[in-house]
Amino acid sequence: MNRPNSIFEEVLGTLPDRQRELVEAAYALLEHSSGPVHRQFLPALSDATSRERLEELLRRTGRTLVTVDQLHFTSGFDDAVRTELTETGWQPLSLADRAVLVLVLVYSVAIPRSVEQIAADSWESPHPTTLQDVTRDSKVPVGEVRAALGRMTACGLLRTVRGGDHDSGYVPGPQLSRLTPAAREQLQDQLILAAAPDHPLAAAIRERRHNRVGGQR
Amino acid sequence: MNERDAALWWARIRSGGPQQVSAGGPTPAGLLRLVEADARAVWLIPNLPDSAGPAVLIEYGVPGSSMMDSKGTLRVLAATLRCCWPDPATDPWPGLPASTGHVGQVLQRLVPGRNKVSRQQLLSAGLRRLSVSGWVLLEGADTVRIGPRIASFGSLELSTLRELWRLIPDTAEDGPEGS
Repeated sequence: MNRPNSIFEEVLGTLPDRQRELVEAAYALLEHSSGPVHRQFLPALSDATSRERLEELLRRTGRTLVTVDQLHFTSGFDDAVRTELTETGWQPLSLADRAVLVLVLVYSVAIPRSVEQIAADSWESPHPTTLQDVTRDSKVPVGEVRAALGRMTACGLLRTVRGGDHDSGYVPGPQLSRLTPAAREQLQDQLILAAAPDHPLAAAIRERRHNRVGGQR
Repeated sequence: MNERDAALWWARIRSGGPQQVSAGGPTPAGLLRLVEADARAVWLIPNLPDSAGPAVLIEYGVPGSSMMDSKGTLRVLAATLRCCWPDPATDPWPGLPASTGHVGQVLQRLVPGRNKVSRQQLLSAGLRRLSVSGWVLLEGADTVRIGPRIASFGSLELSTLRELWRLIPDTAEDGPEGS
């Protein structure tokens, strides 16, 4: 089943064996780990040539290197690829999944962030969204909500938090750390537009987008 | 097909699982074509070298996104593999179709102590979960096949899978079914 991969051959073919091995290992760790990886596992990042080939490998496969903090790294969708796919209507998540995900982001991130309990650019949250929060005012039937929560927990978009009656529920999962700075900014804007469409911030976002589209013409 | 188009295909598969395309089209760089038994369609999956695949995580002791068997889903996958992959000396893809009744009978040996109703629930919920991510393919109401994602197993993982295959008891398809 193992045949040579033309992208890997083109990008890594001229590297010495040991260096190639480290770049391939870094690619594997960034792409398949459940969360951000400490740089001690990624010696390829410390060498200029290896790092450049790693980034090329990621770019050729639709991905990009994401710096989580100074010590942790992961990979995410390349911004240009993400933009092109979404503009052509690519959407692997069902409507119900997206609705439930937005509700969890509103309860676990947007509301705590509006009272400055969460930093402006963070998608990690200590504030769980309960099943009742999601079902209370939602148009999604309870059975579908449960199924959506299960699916999104399985793929790492959500994470379950176990606790007492009031502090167990769902928070944003490890996949959110794979968002690039541009994707995080876009998600933050979308969340404001969804949660507070009449807020001055939402008006500012609409104006900024309008100008950006105008500027491209 | 240019680099940009290939990168788009990689991203579609990463976000939406293995992609089925018509058999006539080009193969994007770095992807593997899995031809369906009737040769009318192909599945595209990443062709990662073992040295860049998920097995590296075990070597480095870094946690991956593995599926927990708390709900018995992996046992359903094991039973499906046992029925749809009759000869483990070959590659699992494309395998053979099996009836869900046959898979249920193998599953019975893997989840002793469950009654018929609870086992049936496990089977249908497990197959549904596995089919969402491409580990199995459901054809109609009662036929199941190996999913294209199985073909992404590297040679190391395949040898483990073959050892596990031998541990799973098979049952004749038409054997009597207890509860």
